[in-house]
Amino acid sequence: MNFFLQSDTRRLLVQGRKLLLVAAFTLLATAGANSGENTGPGPVHQAGHGETAEPAKEHVHVHPQPAAATEVGLDEKLGAAIPLDLTFRDETGRTVTLRDLVTVPTIIAPVYYKCPNVCSFLQGGLAQALPEVKLEPGKAFRVLSVSFDETETPELAHRSQAIYLDAMRQRFPAAAWSFLTGDPENIRSLLDAAGYRFQRQGEDFLHPVAIFVVASDGKIVRYLHGTSVLPMDLTLALVEASEGRIGPTIRRVAQFCFSYDAENRRYVFNLFRVSATVILLTAGAFLSFLILRGRKNPDRPR
Amino acid sequence: MTETRPATADARGFLAPDGKGLFGWIFSTDHKRIGLLYMYAILTFFLVGVALGVTIRLELLAPGETIISAQAYNALFTLHGVIMIFLFIIPGIPAIFGNLFLPIHIGANDVAFPRLNLLSWWLYMTGALLALGSLFGSAGFPDTGWTFYVPFSTQTTTNVPLAVFAVFILGFSSILTGINFVTTVHRLRAEGMGWGRLPLFVWALYSTAWVQILATPMLAITLVLVILERLLGAGLFDPAKGGDPIMFQHLFWIYSHPAVYIMILPGMGIVTEIIPVFARKPVFGYWAIAFSSIGIAAAGSLVWGHHMFVSGMSDMAILVFSLLTFIVAIPSAVKVFNWVATLYKGSISLDPPMLFALSFIFLFSIGGLTGLILGAAATDVHVHDTSFVVGHFHYTMFGGTGFAFFGGMHYWFPKIYGRMYNKKIAAAAWGIMFAGFNMLYFSMMILGLRGMPRRYYDYLPEYTGLNVVATVGSWILAAGLLLMFINLFRGARSGGPCGANPWGGRTLEWSLASPPPAENFETPPVVTHGPYDFEEGPARP
Repeated sequence: MNFFLQSDTRRLLVQGRKLLLVAAFTLLATAGANSGENTGPGPVHQAGHGETAEPAKEHVHVHPQPAAATEVGLDEKLGAAIPLDLTFRDETGRTVTLRDLVTVPTIIAPVYYKCPNVCSFLQGGLAQALPEVKLEPGKAFRVLSVSFDETETPELAHRSQAIYLDAMRQRFPAAAWSFLTGDPENIRSLLDAAGYRFQRQGEDFLHPVAIFVVASDGKIVRYLHGTSVLPMDLTLALVEASEGRIGPTIRRVAQFCFSYDAENRRYVFNLFRVSATVILLTAGAFLSFLILRGRKNPDRPR
Repeated sequence: MTETRPATADARGFLAPDGKGLFGWIFSTDHKRIGLLYMYAILTFFLVGVALGVTIRLELLAPGETIISAQAYNALFTLHGVIMIFLFIIPGIPAIFGNLFLPIHIGANDVAFPRLNLLSWWLYMTGALLALGSLFGSAGFPDTGWTFYVPFSTQTTTNVPLAVFAVFILGFSSILTGINFVTTVHRLRAEGMGWGRLPLFVWALYSTAWVQILATPMLAITLVLVILERLLGAGLFDPAKGGDPIMFQHLFWIYSHPAVYIMILPGMGIVTEIIPVFARKPVFGYWAIAFSSIGIAAAGSLVWGHHMFVSGMSDMAILVFSLLTFIVAIPSAVKVFNWVATLYKGSISLDPPMLFALSFIFLFSIGGLTGLILGAAATDVHVHDTSFVVGHFHYTMFGGTGFAFFGGMHYWFPKIYGRMYNKKIAAAAWGIMFAGFNMLYFSMMILGLRGMPRRYYDYLPEYTGLNVVATVGSWILAAGLLLMFINLFRGARSGGPCGANPWGGRTLEWSLASPPPAENFETPPVVTHGPYDFEEGPARP
């Protein structure tokens, strides 16, 4: 767990303060190398910043186990097509194929409806951005939430849909945002095609936090990472999808957002203090020397 | 030694060939020659930066791909930033005009450490060539932006380590220049040159030098950490290993915000020299201007957090950084009011240096006031990372420091070369640049307020109009720059002789021949008057 790592690093930093700055760097580098062996939870996925501050409570989203971590991630498959003959059930329980739904540029959000935080943030972010997208929902684009939990039912999907439609205060038609559930094979083949690697951890999942946009022929044109999306990014992606252009990934940084805790900050400020003290002392000594020595005798020949 | 060297304007002073050819320049420890070496190198990089900037604007002429690919665009704006910031505007004024005139201004024959000075230039050239060298690696030039933000800079496959190492070396050049200038001002002032008689340009360089000494080591440390992170996987900025990417932003801005004062303070110093000479009046509030330089340097070192209002800092930190940011506005405004008060009832002549100085006040005021919009957290979150920030930044750095730099070039040009450029063409070039500048960057600010993000390669069609205006502005600006440089180049080659003191200045450089003799002062000067005592000085020619 992270805590031990940090105290290691901190101890090293305390030693570093006693030595010169150069020595501190070496130590830090060693600390980094050690920590790689010890544990190193893999890619950490975005979680609500405030939500996970309690260090005692293990949370699968924030601190995935090392072994599993290598399995989870996202390989962008820009330009590849998702299979359109897959079947899912929509929020009314009706069986649908992707071909029925992906008739226009489509935003696909892989989530699971019982997710305790990030998926809700992801869909909440979508709910905030979608009404601002300046294209006609249903006609110019469509949104699909797809559950990768095969045990979830259309009833749950329906409840989830109601929540987000309410959040948008009727500014978005229900028909343009479907909430799908399906069986393991269909889920796997959809998400494999999108390069989306997730793993079950008991009740919960380890999974990347990203949505992607496909053109009406199923071609993946853009990935959008993180829980909050800008209406403009969505619009751009959809416009590209309608033109069949493939866009670069932007705002990828958000993927590496992390749960923020006070331990990290202390370690930041240690590094600050070491370097600031050394710099200030040196500069202070320099200034005192200059003031004490005063002006050079101007008559002395150079 | 002085006897063997010709010291008159006709004999071309320090420019006279010393029989060693190129080596007489690149191994010279004469502060004036080093200043000119810096000038030629820095102006070359500046022109490269301009060409890159114009290309960026050309790409943004229309939505979607216009002339270059998205990856090339990312590399281009990174290179534009790195060249303009680290190769032009940070070293620019101190390394060129500071080297040329700081020793003369205080009545010294050279800087305190002439060889260290030469070493700074060599370090600068090494850093600059390494930065350009990273263009040609197989990995391609970095696409991170000049800020090298982690985690992207530790993950991108482009040639980040080399570019970062180059900036690291440039930092040392900057620190050495700072140490040199501080020591020179303390130790080598001529008899009678008390602190109250220092030209205000020297005060500005002195304050800047302290910021260089205190802040640049932070940049060096930060860049070493990025290299450790990339090459050894140290994990300092990686949350998976207990690190913190926000730490990079803190460390980076601890240097890079004071760095904008390294950029602007010397520019303010030049403007403070030009205005009294062309208003023919002692500067209003000498000590207020001198201490506002120190004030800007001190307060400006404590405001870095205002770049990070949306990074998830605590509200308390945001409040404090916002307050400190507003405090920097006070010494900045003190300067502006003092310049305007100096102009009041002055006998103003609108020679080219003065045109640049006046437009500096106008453009810097726009830059400064839009800075308050960004310094207040409530408004900043709306315009953060939009092209409003880019517009603001160019108003302060290009409209501010850039125009002051060109003002300094036109002001000291006759002193450096002993010849005069064509003043009418210089004024015309100024007018063209001023028009193009405002077209380009004001449009950017409006675009930003309407939501156009910065650094984007593509945009929605509704932003097209103003982007076209901005791009056309960039052509006008580039044309003005070209005209200015051609005029100066022709002046240096074949301009008419200008005498020792064409502007009627009272600082010490105008008491020497033009160009100054290699040894500056044959006998140690004794200073008997202040830098702006025009009443007892010679009449304006």
